[in-house]
Amino acid sequence: MNKAFEKIALIEGLIAAAFVSAEGKLSGWCANSVISPDNLRFIAETCQVILSANRAEQRPAHTGIVAFGNRTLVFREGSSGLFMAYLDSPTNDAVLEWLFSQVNPLLEAEGVKLE
Amino acid sequence: MLHHALILTSHREYAQAMRQGLLKLGDAQTRIDVELDPLRAMQLAPQQYELILLDTVLDAMDGLQLLLLIKQQVPAGKFILVSDSGDEASRAMAYQSGADFFLERPRTPEAFALAMEAIKGLFTTSRVDEPIQQDEGEAPVVRIADIVQMRCLSGDSVLLMVRSQYQSGDIFIFRGEIYHAQYSGRSGEAAFHDMIHWDGGLVRIKAVKLTHIPPRTIEIPYRQLLETVEKSDVHGPDIPQTDGELYVVSGQTPPDAAVLSVMQEAPPREDVAPTFFPNPELSTVGDIPLPRVDSHWKVNLTGELIEGSQVAEPERCAFITSFIYRKLADVAVALEVDYFSHMTLLGPHLQQVLVADNMGVRHAVFDTAWTTEDQRVQYVKWCCEQSF
Repeated sequence: MNKAFEKIALIEGLIAAAFVSAEGKLSGWCANSVISPDNLRFIAETCQVILSANRAEQRPAHTGIVAFGNRTLVFREGSSGLFMAYLDSPTNDAVLEWLFSQVNPLLEAEGVKLE
Repeated sequence: MLHHALILTSHREYAQAMRQGLLKLGDAQTRIDVELDPLRAMQLAPQQYELILLDTVLDAMDGLQLLLLIKQQVPAGKFILVSDSGDEASRAMAYQSGADFFLERPRTPEAFALAMEAIKGLFTTSRVDEPIQQDEGEAPVVRIADIVQMRCLSGDSVLLMVRSQYQSGDIFIFRGEIYHAQYSGRSGEAAFHDMIHWDGGLVRIKAVKLTHIPPRTIEIPYRQLLETVEKSDVHGPDIPQTDGELYVVSGQTPPDAAVLSVMQEAPPREDVAPTFFPNPELSTVGDIPLPRVDSHWKVNLTGELIEGSQVAEPERCAFITSFIYRKLADVAVALEVDYFSHMTLLGPHLQQVLVADNMGVRHAVFDTAWTTEDQRVQYVKWCCEQSF
């Protein structure tokens, strides 16, 4: 997983990224800013909780996009865990597509498939 | 004595001055925490504080809303709301929101000293959750109406700190007239009427020098006010007829036939009853039309549903929105950023958009099959217009 995140760290505008397994283990991460791995795991777990709560409400979702000013937290859940990326820009569907077109092959090489 | 307090403000210099002042009300063990970020304050355990001072206007958050939120977690805590404006409306709002004391931010050393005296007076009253003990040296149980009448007849200016078995409040007498009364959640004439009935009118009272004159909330002469009270005693306790519900105050057991004396009217709800779209007044604010949504609703900062359309299970909807809202507050703190402005959740069948402002969160559900990105963006813009 480290190799994948070494490359993910090079994605333009990416501040941080992480993958947390379904069991809550921080399997891989990278950060181009001072965000600790503990914080990344906490954020990813919180995103898992939000998705889980929505499933319980019969409104299942696989992807979340949260705007914090001009920065954006993107997360997507797969069967083996949750990937999240913190970007230094607003996003739209085209940006999401661009992001995951780069991330998906890297994660799939590590045996992780997102929805 | 003060042991542990929190100052929640966006004014750094004032916070330091107030902290020094509060430290003097305690001893060497006293701890006064200062928090400049309301989002971080929400992460603190408020139960640890006996006293919380917070500004009416905080960065990115309404202090009154935050007060309501924290008060739910620490009902027995003392809350002082600090405002840059000492106007009547702000004061009334503060007490209606559950503040124990309203303080206009002191700007001179003299005003600061008076404020500290007032805080000291507030805090030296016994905690409301302590049962009355006949300790030596404690104020005797007296008839509240007699004390008020005596002080008014004497033309006194005095603050009567009233303590019943389960509550405490203040009655301000200025130059022989009842000027203002307050206890947690109520002020003015209504507060006086309630207080006069606490424990059947037999309470403990501590009279202290009036250090500041509050704005007048009781206009009628004291004789007339006391006569009204006497009449209501003859005809039974005065229970105003409103839309509020009656409930037994937690921890109180009706001691005798005067059962109504321990039953109080629920405080009037500050929020309006839920309104439902399409509401012409609400849906036409701004130029952007509301896009086609399956359902949408809005909750305030205390998690209450205040608007909605096509909301099948209002309580569950309000709950999930509040839940996400709180979780994203945690995320914002971890990322060291301001609160989220909007969130999109994409699912196979449904898409959701949450849009936050400083008064609450709007939440919309879209059908994935019929929804485009433009519609989601339009909803965010529509919400922004409604906030203005």
